[in-house]
Amino acid sequence: MKNNLRKDLPRWLTLLALLVFFVVAARGMETKDWVITLLRGLSVGSVTFLVASGFSLIFGLLDVLNMAHGTVFMLGAYIAWTVYVRPDTFVDLLTPTLLLLSGFTLSTVWKRLVRILKQKGNWLVIVRWAGLAVGIAAMIYILPRYPITIWDVGNYSQSPVTYSYLADQGLINLPQGLPFEEISPMAAVIGLMAASLLTAFSLSTFNSRSQGATSLSWKDFIVYVILFGLGVAALIFNDSLTSFLDGLDTTWLFLIALSVGVMVGVLLGSVMESTLIRPLYSRPIYQLMLTLGLSAIGMEAVRAIWGRPEFVMPKPSLFAGVGDGCPATSLADLWTNHCSTIMLFDGRIRVYNEIFIPLVGIIVLVGIWILLQRSRLGMIIRAGVQDREMVEALGINVQRVFNTVFAMGVGLAVLGGGLAAPSMGLSNAMGETLILNALIALAIGGLTNFPGAALGSLLVGLLQQVIIKYGAIGIPIPFTEIVFKPTPPLVPASTVLLMVFVLLILPNGLLGRKE
Amino acid sequence: MVKVTSKSKLNFFKRNQGLAITILVLSFLPFVVGLFEGASPAQVWLNQGGTSKFIEGLAIEIFILAIFALSYDLLFGITGLLSLGHSMFFATGAYLTGILLKNFQMSLGVTILWVLAAAVINAILFGLVLPRVKGITFALVTLGIASVFHILIMSRELGALTGADVGLQRVPTPAFISPATERLRFYFIALAILIFFFLVYKRFVSSPVGRVCVAIRENEDRALMLGYNTFVFKLAALILSSITASVAGVIHALYQPIVSPNTAGLVYTIMALLVVLIGGVGTLNGALIGAAVYRLLDFGLRRYLGEVAGFVNGTIYVLIVLFLPYGIVGTWRLKSLNIRQGWNRLLGYFQKSN
Repeated sequence: MKNNLRKDLPRWLTLLALLVFFVVAARGMETKDWVITLLRGLSVGSVTFLVASGFSLIFGLLDVLNMAHGTVFMLGAYIAWTVYVRPDTFVDLLTPTLLLLSGFTLSTVWKRLVRILKQKGNWLVIVRWAGLAVGIAAMIYILPRYPITIWDVGNYSQSPVTYSYLADQGLINLPQGLPFEEISPMAAVIGLMAASLLTAFSLSTFNSRSQGATSLSWKDFIVYVILFGLGVAALIFNDSLTSFLDGLDTTWLFLIALSVGVMVGVLLGSVMESTLIRPLYSRPIYQLMLTLGLSAIGMEAVRAIWGRPEFVMPKPSLFAGVGDGCPATSLADLWTNHCSTIMLFDGRIRVYNEIFIPLVGIIVLVGIWILLQRSRLGMIIRAGVQDREMVEALGINVQRVFNTVFAMGVGLAVLGGGLAAPSMGLSNAMGETLILNALIALAIGGLTNFPGAALGSLLVGLLQQVIIKYGAIGIPIPFTEIVFKPTPPLVPASTVLLMVFVLLILPNGLLGRKE
Repeated sequence: MVKVTSKSKLNFFKRNQGLAITILVLSFLPFVVGLFEGASPAQVWLNQGGTSKFIEGLAIEIFILAIFALSYDLLFGITGLLSLGHSMFFATGAYLTGILLKNFQMSLGVTILWVLAAAVINAILFGLVLPRVKGITFALVTLGIASVFHILIMSRELGALTGADVGLQRVPTPAFISPATERLRFYFIALAILIFFFLVYKRFVSSPVGRVCVAIRENEDRALMLGYNTFVFKLAALILSSITASVAGVIHALYQPIVSPNTAGLVYTIMALLVVLIGGVGTLNGALIGAAVYRLLDFGLRRYLGEVAGFVNGTIYVLIVLFLPYGIVGTWRLKSLNIRQGWNRLLGYFQKSN
């Protein structure tokens, strides 16, 4: 015990010093100020944590520094914004996406087909390339002709405030859905279905190692039928679905937007891992370059689709009330009036930014903690972080766990993006600042340590907010008349300096263990 | 004894055949381009050819990038130190040159001496954290130091000197190498500096110190076991790398009308990393080829595709990572035996048919 304490002395001293620093910083402010600063720090920390936790899980288990994580965060914000502000575009996109995806769920059928073709001789090569060519040609023909109501980006960027105000009032008139003109709906559905089936089959033939699948059962087709049915249903009920989403309370719409974002994120992560990252496990540094390239691609894609202007995302109605009885003075008031702000210690606190986001952050933290500590998957992940090869040797399908963890990490980042969008706003640069924050948080807490990610994110958020607050009120320097006001550049600089100091004292971070 | 030296002299030229050809091609490039446009070599000599002047400018940018990438390759490819703060070296050179020339009216020679001193100080600053942190943590700490530097440059308090987020403008380049009127001279000086550093690096890598650096990259513990004080060797590599990057920064400041604060950002370090990875990690000529490929690709795509260029650029990098794992030069070296064999087979086939 005594020995342990001695070994951990630098760690305890550093933690103590940080605690003393924050207590002293809080003593210098009024009560309402430090309550707000604490809550804001928690809020920034929560968003950072959502990105950092996924990053650290991926790095710990897969040894991949996923530099595209910030871009994924940004993508999540933009997807949530689109579903939330423009449900009509979302509904229009639903059909082609679902139809194109559906073919890829039939992997067992494709394996079976490949076996049959292999027995018949050299047909496989011809079928593979012909299928790919026809499938892609069909996509290229159909997709540009498929009617999707596209928004004018300028509208949103010119007067974001007006738009968000209108959206709050539910007054946005969505443009009329475009009719099918250049292509009949029947042809579009059948063409997309065929394109999806052909492409999925051709791509599956490249995976030469696929084995098994000797017999087929009706179960293999369930997912396909469901996706296909949903796609067709979305096409038939396009108008009614649009008007339903449009008339929906924005709180529910926000939830739908978040869940759509997370689904897209999980799918994206799974595809990224299995097609791009997997071939590179033996070449670590190239993964870094690959993810950097991916992040550039994602950034440019966002610029190409949504443009450069910054967007504002209106807050869901549960957190947007400004009418009678607001700002709320008690929790009951808050609940009945859906106030956007609440008075706490005479300070105005924005409910969404400073209470809801930290709440979600804490829920996610507890959820992942339970998953890691109490489930079989979590056990495998923890074991894999410690010694990947040993887990593999014990006969566990590490490949699948890798895929799950990567998908989960990307999903968490997307969730963070969607959550942060109403409070931070959307811009092309939001991903970069956040990935830097997350990296700093992880370096402070310990790169592969899950509680470390939480602690680091919290410290980064708190420190930034403390510096921002003192930028407003100023620090009186003792024995002089000078009041020192930290300038905005000091905000990122302070976290970076904290990281450098922590790393110089504890090279593995605050909670990280020696490798 | 005399015989030996003459032999080694011959070997030197034979070994550097590619380099000699490259120098020859690059020295004639502006004139040849001028001829295509109808400008005589005399006009090019007097900096009157439009296209050739433009090509010279593009080449100078490639040379600067190549020098910068070389310095990163020494650190990352040869010594195995992954630093994410490398752009700080470059920006120090660029900003110090600009500030000393503009605000303190120093002569170019004195400025370069100051820059060299600053480069050594920078390297020692990075060296201070070397014994404490390794691997990815070193990358993060260097990133941290460089971000503080970046923030300092961007800050409004130093705006009078650095130009804050607009960048350093109107650096008074001495008239005899002004990129506007004496671009051909600038071109040859930049080329000479590039060749000089390339030869120095080649010598460094094959010197005993360089060998130990390679050993550190392969396995630092083993190098320690063999009795080498690895810290000293890493510091030596850091100092050489820092000086080189700062010189690249000096040329950049003299050539470009604006030194943007981006030169100190993470983007610039990543650019060097990409160049080295495209060319081939740990191969010196890879850094040069990578710089040319990167710059020309970027330029061409931007010119013909416009906004979509970044997208295509990113895709190309991903494809290079997936299908050219050792970079251009590394893959070439791996395949060169196969290529030679195929070539011989082809020649043999023709001889037979004759």
